[in-house]
Amino acid sequence: MKTVETFTWAALALPLAGAIITGLGFRVWRGKTAGVIATLILFSAFVCAVIAAVKLKGLNVEDQQHTSVAWDYAKTLGVDAQLSILVDPLALYMALVVTGVSSLIHLYSVAYMKSDEGYTRFFAYLNFFVFSMLVLVLAGNFLLLIVGWAFVGAASYMLISFWYRRTTATAAGIKAFVINVLGDVGLVLGTYFIFKGTGSLDFLTVFKEIEEGAAFAQTNDGELVAGCLLLLVGAFAKSAQVPLHTWLPDAMEGPTPVSSLIHAATMVTAGVYLIARMWPLFEQAPAAANTGAIIGCATLFIAATIALTQTDLKRVIAYSTMSQIGYMVMAVSSGAYVAGLFHLMTHAFFKALLFMAAGSVIAAMANVQNLNKMGGFRKSMPFTYGCFIVGGLALSGVPPFSGFFSKDEILAYTADRGGFHVALAVVGYIAAFMTAVYTFRLIFRAFWGEPVEEARELEAGHLAHGEHVNPANGEPEDTHVGFPGPEHHIAERAPEMKIAMGVLAFLATVAGALQIPNVTHAVDTFLEPTFEESTYFQTLDPSNTLTYFGMALGTVLALSGIALAHFLWVKRPDIPATLIARFRPLYSLSFHKWWFDEIIDFLIVRPAAWLGRFFDGQVERVLINGVLTGGTTGLVKSASAAVRGVQSGFLRFYAAAFAVGTVVVTFYFLVA
Amino acid sequence: MTPLLAAAKIDGPEIDWAGLSPLIALIGGSILALLLGLFRARPVREFLVPFVALAAIGTALGLTIWQWDETKDLVAGAMRLDHLTLALTGIFCVAGIATVLLSWRHVAPRESAHGEYYALLLASLAGMVLLVGATDLVALFIGLELLSIPLYVLCATEMRREGSLESGLKYLIIGSVGSATLLFGSAFLYGAAGSTGFADIVKALGDQDIRDSALLLTGVGLLVVGLAFKASVAPFHMWTPDVYEGAPTPVTAFMAVATKAAAIGITIRLFDVALLPVSDIWQPALAILAAITIVVGNVGALGQSSLKRMLAYSGVAQAGYLLAGIVAATRGGVEATVFYLAAYTVMNLAAFAVITAQQGLRPDGDDLGAYRGLGVERPLLAWPLTLAMLGLAGFPLTAGFIGKFALIQASVEGGYTWLGVFIVIGSMISLGYYLKVVATMWMTESPEPAAPAPAGINPGTPPVLAGGSPEADAQGLRWEVACVAVVFGALTLAIGVYPQPLFELASDAAGAIAGLLS
Repeated sequence: MKTVETFTWAALALPLAGAIITGLGFRVWRGKTAGVIATLILFSAFVCAVIAAVKLKGLNVEDQQHTSVAWDYAKTLGVDAQLSILVDPLALYMALVVTGVSSLIHLYSVAYMKSDEGYTRFFAYLNFFVFSMLVLVLAGNFLLLIVGWAFVGAASYMLISFWYRRTTATAAGIKAFVINVLGDVGLVLGTYFIFKGTGSLDFLTVFKEIEEGAAFAQTNDGELVAGCLLLLVGAFAKSAQVPLHTWLPDAMEGPTPVSSLIHAATMVTAGVYLIARMWPLFEQAPAAANTGAIIGCATLFIAATIALTQTDLKRVIAYSTMSQIGYMVMAVSSGAYVAGLFHLMTHAFFKALLFMAAGSVIAAMANVQNLNKMGGFRKSMPFTYGCFIVGGLALSGVPPFSGFFSKDEILAYTADRGGFHVALAVVGYIAAFMTAVYTFRLIFRAFWGEPVEEARELEAGHLAHGEHVNPANGEPEDTHVGFPGPEHHIAERAPEMKIAMGVLAFLATVAGALQIPNVTHAVDTFLEPTFEESTYFQTLDPSNTLTYFGMALGTVLALSGIALAHFLWVKRPDIPATLIARFRPLYSLSFHKWWFDEIIDFLIVRPAAWLGRFFDGQVERVLINGVLTGGTTGLVKSASAAVRGVQSGFLRFYAAAFAVGTVVVTFYFLVA
Repeated sequence: MTPLLAAAKIDGPEIDWAGLSPLIALIGGSILALLLGLFRARPVREFLVPFVALAAIGTALGLTIWQWDETKDLVAGAMRLDHLTLALTGIFCVAGIATVLLSWRHVAPRESAHGEYYALLLASLAGMVLLVGATDLVALFIGLELLSIPLYVLCATEMRREGSLESGLKYLIIGSVGSATLLFGSAFLYGAAGSTGFADIVKALGDQDIRDSALLLTGVGLLVVGLAFKASVAPFHMWTPDVYEGAPTPVTAFMAVATKAAAIGITIRLFDVALLPVSDIWQPALAILAAITIVVGNVGALGQSSLKRMLAYSGVAQAGYLLAGIVAATRGGVEATVFYLAAYTVMNLAAFAVITAQQGLRPDGDDLGAYRGLGVERPLLAWPLTLAMLGLAGFPLTAGFIGKFALIQASVEGGYTWLGVFIVIGSMISLGYYLKVVATMWMTESPEPAAPAPAGINPGTPPVLAGGSPEADAQGLRWEVACVAVVFGALTLAIGVYPQPLFELASDAAGAIAGLLS
């Protein structure tokens, strides 16, 4: 256990060291130095995580969950505040995914961000993000979990607003941060309920108390359900589930590697991890778990419909991320923990890959992200195209790509729960069909068809260099720090990007082999020590009929979705316009993202702003500033003047004051 | 003569030399420093003497650690060696080491002769150790005087500066009044209880008649006043700003931390041991004094432009916080008080080290205006001062936060919730002056490029007297002072991040006081 702990701590400490080192070096380092250092550090963290995982699996099953305490912060004050990590298969599984994908994205960024003036800062942020994420997934108690949760939010904010002179980027950063803080509040309040019931903040202690019935013995205990629902608020905000999802599409304002790492592969899966980690709580509070499953299902459907009509390349992928995380949330809330976590991993591979490929396309388009202006990149960017196809097939769930196995496992296990979960699974299949349609809509529109000017130029060997404008609102920009750099980098010309994408493409293709029904159970076996006590882990076991029927259905849906996309955007490109005209209301619903932004603006933002103005004008200025603050500061100031006035400097006066004081005190003692 | 001497033979009490060893090391060091100071050779006076002082304090600290788990009565019950004595001795030694480092190459020892300066410092330290170990009114008074008299002199060691002389004289006169009050109180207490030993006093106080006697009540009242004076508790604090401002800065640092720790230490022992049976009488009185002190100290510190004066008022306020822990009269209260004393020592030493350094760099180094733009110019000094200010204000992740938290908790558990509220209000007011320092350092720019310390001294100071030269007074940044600042600044942060070991020490110290509610 000692070795495992050591290596896990090392994996946690390395990115922090990297963030500090890179952060300190920003004045001196030129060129790719910072990127190389940050990438190497991250890669060593990954190696540490691998060693820790291998060693952990060498131990007895009952020894595979262990809290490692670095130090007690304060045990005297009634709270067991410790700096402790929980070393168990789930934590290391997450650490592996996080460090592994992060290393590759760091590698990609070494080339992709090369001409940016904020190159070193970018890598310092990126390392800090990985550290925060590791704190989140390795935390051994609620306190540290909250710290990690908040750090991740902060890192996300810094990276979304990385191009801080872009007004749209800073606005998106603020939006993401506000919604994430809402989630933090949920997490903290949820922790309060759980601490109140169990008297502990330590994960294993809390779980043990609940399993033994020492706390929250009653199923659906009111306070436990409240606590779990509040935890879900935290999970929904971080994982962009409706109605707290509006920040995720806007977060695409950040550099593409950021979208790839944070807003696809790692951070947004924190909610999935949280629900899976808290399974003893959620199994004791089925009401909360069912809420999670339904919200996850709603998200996966709504996001898929929106993705069908968006025209911004990155935003389509962002909505697809939302949808896929909806699948995971639905899975872990329905008791299909391993399926959800398996999909988390495969999704990290293929979604990171898709974003990287999208980044390459955007670079070739000189930062233009509008799908309407793209086309015909198939010839000029063969490698990017290939990666996009692999990612697209995995996302659509075409066998034998990884997404096929993980998505079908989720749907089969969800259906196996019976009851309303069957309906959830059916919605999942419908959305799977839409997934194939919108994914291949992207591919056909960006890579097929008549090559646009940029694509033709690239075929001739010239990378397009357009005007420096903000793609979101057309504002002119320069290329100094705070804006994107002058050069663009595509995968075809940057070996670093090629390696990162190649590795991910390989993983996206073969990772499904880890968990083929009736053949392999690698993920299942790996995670077993974490979930072995779980009722659903023990009982859920879809029959062969269900499994194979599900797989066949999934294949058919994916292939027909691709065929439909081919028909609509390659064979008969005139049809989509006709369809839009005929189904105007449906199109509007999707195109305007179900008006979530508008509804939230009307229901929350505007009343809040009005209330703010009211309190500012009436209460703050008149009552607080005028009467209360003015009165208090006036009182303190006059008291201060009085005290200083008494301090005359004359000794006789001091002696007199002393004498009077003595008399008063003695008199008090005699009288009282 | 011979028969008289023979007749004067007395049976001395049995002496436990090991238990007394820290005290002996300090007194021995004091004598040695005084003698070595007689040599005319500069290296001996300027290097060997401070080194001897450091070695003596270091030895005392080592002996303290060696004696850590001992608990015994020394010198026929006049003194007690327990975790409380040892923990506070540790604090004194740390403060002493810092003071020696701050004084080395400072003006004060050069003007007053090195031998005398360090001998007085060590004697004062010995007085503190004796004071906090005292379990007898006589030992208490001897300790108090041994602590105070060298300090009166030390305040006046910068003999060419009027402020220093004024400070020494004021302290002497007003201090004598304080000592007299304490002595009066002791006499009354002895009159009421019939004994000077704390253990016998506790026994005597079992009698209801004695508890109600005017003699006892007057005595307790006068003792409260005497100790309140030493700990600079309002309304007996008025000497503090003047003396702190006038005294040489290393001496101010020493007074601010070590004297306060000693006064609070003996307050713990006197009230929570000897006078515990009458706690219902003194608790409300001390609580009211604590509340007044918190308000007066914090309010007075607002609007001060001299940093030393501001820290003097801040010290008054902090004494109020510390008193709150004693008022609770529980183990948790004593633990919180000892913890906060240690934290307070660390934070204040960092602040005073920065002021000492700054005064070495420019003549107006005590003035807030001298700190404009320090964050950019000298981050090495600005960071420790920032940490110290944030710590004293009670910011999270600093030693002050967790210390105040423990004090408030102790107040609440001891039934003095309203006093806890006072601590919070006081902390809020205190942000007004602590943050001003931080803002001055980081958010304003220095008015002109930092001019090298001009030859000459403060405007308004009397002409240079014989024996010194202004050029010798203007020094660069002394590395040992910067070291003290950085080390204690870092400790402020370290204790805030990892308070558990210090809590354990404080808990041991509190455990030394038997008879308290846990």
